[in-house]
Amino acid sequence: MNNLLRSYRQVELFFGNMKFAVFIILLFALTLAYGTFMESYHGTEYANRLVYKSWWFMGIQFGMFLSILFATLLRLPLRKSLYGFYVIHAGLIILFLGSFVTYQSGVDGTVSLAPNLPSRQVQVNEDEFKIQFPARGKEVIVPLPYSAGERNLGFEYEGVKLSTFLPFAENKESWVPDKLADPGQASTKYRLFNDNFGETITLSLHPQSAYNNTQQLGPLNVHYMPATLAECFAKNTPDGLIVWNGETTGCSSPEGQDVQRSRQASGRELVEVSYEGQRLRFMPEMSPLPLDEKMELNELSQFRVFSKKLFEKTPHLFLFGKEVAFFDKATQKWEAHPAETGQEVPLPWMGFKVKTLDHRTDAYPTMVPQYIKPIQDNGQVTVGNLKAVQVEVGDKKFWVNSQEPIAFTLNGERITFELTKRGLTLPYEIVLDQFKMDTDPGTTNPASYESFVTLFKGNEGSEKHRVYMNNPLKYKNFTFYQASYFQTNEGPYGSVLSVNFDPGRFWKYLGSLLLVLGSIWHFVLRKKTVVKPGEARA
Amino acid sequence: MLKFLLALIVSASGAWAQGPMNFCTSDLETFPVQAGGREKPLYVLATETVRYMTGSDKVGEFSATEAFCKLSLKAFGMPLELPVNIKVDHIDVRKLLGMKEDQTHLPVQELTAKSDLLVQKGQEIKENNSFKKEINRVQGRLSTYQAIVGARAWTVPVLESGKVSFVPLSEFLTQTRVESAQGKGSNPVSYLFEVAKRDYLSVKGDQYLLELSYFKLNLFMWSLLASILGIILFVVMKNKIPGAVVTGVTIVGQLTAMTIRVMISGRAPITNMYETVMFSGFGALIISIIIFYFRRDILFVLAGLACNVLSLLMMKFANGMLDEGISPLVPVLRDNFWLSTHVTTVILSYAALALSWILSNSLLLRARFGTVSSADYRYEVDLIYTSIKFGVVLLSAGVILGGVWADYSWGRFWGWDPKETWSLIVLLVYIAILHGKYTTWIPPTRFVPLVAGSFMSVMMAWFGVNYILASGLHSYGFSEGGAVFLASFFAIQIAILLVCVTKRDSQATPNP
Repeated sequence: MNNLLRSYRQVELFFGNMKFAVFIILLFALTLAYGTFMESYHGTEYANRLVYKSWWFMGIQFGMFLSILFATLLRLPLRKSLYGFYVIHAGLIILFLGSFVTYQSGVDGTVSLAPNLPSRQVQVNEDEFKIQFPARGKEVIVPLPYSAGERNLGFEYEGVKLSTFLPFAENKESWVPDKLADPGQASTKYRLFNDNFGETITLSLHPQSAYNNTQQLGPLNVHYMPATLAECFAKNTPDGLIVWNGETTGCSSPEGQDVQRSRQASGRELVEVSYEGQRLRFMPEMSPLPLDEKMELNELSQFRVFSKKLFEKTPHLFLFGKEVAFFDKATQKWEAHPAETGQEVPLPWMGFKVKTLDHRTDAYPTMVPQYIKPIQDNGQVTVGNLKAVQVEVGDKKFWVNSQEPIAFTLNGERITFELTKRGLTLPYEIVLDQFKMDTDPGTTNPASYESFVTLFKGNEGSEKHRVYMNNPLKYKNFTFYQASYFQTNEGPYGSVLSVNFDPGRFWKYLGSLLLVLGSIWHFVLRKKTVVKPGEARA
Repeated sequence: MLKFLLALIVSASGAWAQGPMNFCTSDLETFPVQAGGREKPLYVLATETVRYMTGSDKVGEFSATEAFCKLSLKAFGMPLELPVNIKVDHIDVRKLLGMKEDQTHLPVQELTAKSDLLVQKGQEIKENNSFKKEINRVQGRLSTYQAIVGARAWTVPVLESGKVSFVPLSEFLTQTRVESAQGKGSNPVSYLFEVAKRDYLSVKGDQYLLELSYFKLNLFMWSLLASILGIILFVVMKNKIPGAVVTGVTIVGQLTAMTIRVMISGRAPITNMYETVMFSGFGALIISIIIFYFRRDILFVLAGLACNVLSLLMMKFANGMLDEGISPLVPVLRDNFWLSTHVTTVILSYAALALSWILSNSLLLRARFGTVSSADYRYEVDLIYTSIKFGVVLLSAGVILGGVWADYSWGRFWGWDPKETWSLIVLLVYIAILHGKYTTWIPPTRFVPLVAGSFMSVMMAWFGVNYILASGLHSYGFSEGGAVFLASFFAIQIAILLVCVTKRDSQATPNP
């Protein structure tokens, strides 16, 4: 017992020591300074994950708490000269406890309100991973760690493994080998540039690629097509038609007798082409798909027809892997050029050139999230906004990111995966009747935001409220504050309210009050001064 | 399109044949305009705009108002060229525009001819560094010029069914309006402006003219001179009455200026950097007098006056960093009660800490280069300690009031936002010193340099958060006003510490 008391005494002397206080205060201050710089470089969420919400930062705060607590215990029983000191330190202890209560059981989230749509979902700033088995109505929720770096989740459920979690990621291009792909499923990387501007684009015809076969660069439309089509684009025929057979991958440019043109009642042009003994009917302005007997698009047909005339008015660039075609307005002719890797082909628009960087038929480009420290620029996180979890099902490995859920079929059962924010359901509904934003006269600077909302309380009826800056809505322990707004597709603004439940509030206020009163008592009211040399004490 | 006006005016009367000379006079200074979301006299708009473009209050021989007016009339075909020289601060931008490294301004015609270069370079640079920011600023200055000469910058009040609305000058001087005023007044255009001003006054009154007096009186300049005089009188004369009187004059001058500012803006004068600097000098003086009341030592008042002089000098000369214009508040700050209590408390605490900073630096330098008896040293350490105590009490109250305000308007007491975090860091730094004073770690000879150095944390919280942290990762060019100011402050403070701490032996060493 005596031993125990002695070791307690040692603990008390260690943590209650003034030097420990100075040490822990400075450590705390340095950590905070580090945190603010991290915040400035990498954004709020990164700083929170790295510093403010980390376990070691909690440890430092606990050290502060111990220092304050034991410093006070050491100075018991009460001494009159230290009353101010007791009040300050008691205030701090209460403040710490109040903050801990908030940390443990407080709620801090947001609710997004689209105009006139009832909502009861509060989004909390914690990530979770949902695995759903819709057929069985089963859902598994895996909370994701609040870490700043990559984490191994090591989670497994019914053959579904979650391995890596990336709290900050960017999609990076990655080439997946596919030896079985046919030449029609090629992918190529190009550089388009002139003296002032340049952009690298990746285009793919592979069905599993994350890239498309068309891209728009300003006024220029880029089309990526199977290499077998190149020869037909190179030919200058009066009709300017190209027929492509998807099965044989052959193409032809029908002319003269083989082409009959007529006008529909709707004013659209109808073209009939004789090709390999078949008569194909098209409306080239509408679709490259042929029409069936009922004059409807035949989506099953292996044929496509293009009218090159459609691509003569505005800049269109056709790329076929290692060949390039375009219409030159100056010569009024279609031109085709070989574009071997590294070769530059001049284009007829603003001095632009195109260069083939990489052309592959045995692999396709896809997007793989990679961990990256986020970068904040002008108050906005510009890089690293993506979160991702790597999922392993059987021998398949894939990434699920925070942008969209993914569905997967395992042994005939559909499973969906989703990386999302944790949600809370309110026991009542809120509807945004109107969001109002006033601007300063003669400018577009917002002067005030205001949400007119209706609260539906089930059996207790409903009530109307106005929520604006410095005027929150309080209802049953929850407080709703005007936080932000967004524009909906239909036009009117939607509103974002922050939602808050803080059970530690009273204690934090009490502690603060004691702290301030104690400081005044301790520092200002206590007169203990050094007398000016040569003067007697008054 | 607008050129009709010239012909019309020239033909209308002989007086107008001399061009805009007779119209663009200093009488226009009181003309009401709307700009940046507020109504103000043309003098204020013209001076702010001309200063923004050129960095000076004059264009050639003309005042800002005259120049603004003449440039606006260019839209109506007035054939005149004013020597408008656009300010270019960044050396790389000067190089880009083919200027010499020490050439600070470029004539607007030359800049217009080279504006494509700016656009091109601006698109090329992807990261938001100081070079790109300056390119944007120069483009902003140029487009402000274009707005003026396009008669879009000047707004004119128009009375319609009892309500005043503002339209750009280009829409105000329409052919029909000018023709309808033909033959009225000395000339049609002057007549239209007289009517516009009269209409405005009849509805809104002349409250807006207060701003003209505010800027013209220049009370802060007079307060600066009075503060300097006060220091001299206190130091030189044995009788403290003249110094006290001059100090009183300073206080009255600043109080009047701030009151007028409050009347114009309708809010506490602490909403931007300029205003916090303005308030802090005044606050330091007031706090020094309050402490003087308790401690009866004129050193406090001297330190207070010194802080006041420094802040008034900053207001006068740090234009690149502090904007003296009055603009509407962002929505989140629109709560006068919390704004007044929280920000005032924090600024007053910084002011009290500034007193400790002045006192400790002065003690350091005197102990290093002169002689300070150990009794005097101990006594002054106690004076510094007193001002820190005031600072710490005020700062704890200020930080907590900030938490309460944040809780009240955002629903969270504390969110590790950089501004609040840095104010806490300042508090922790000074608290650490106060605790350390009871240990063997901080004897009085270490206490003084530590206090002097700790004020750097205040500067970081006050300016650094806005000028270094807020600009983010990519703008460490240190070419911007605020960052340069802070870096110089840190450099000078560290130099003083090094000089005073390293060679402290022989007779100068106090031995407490």
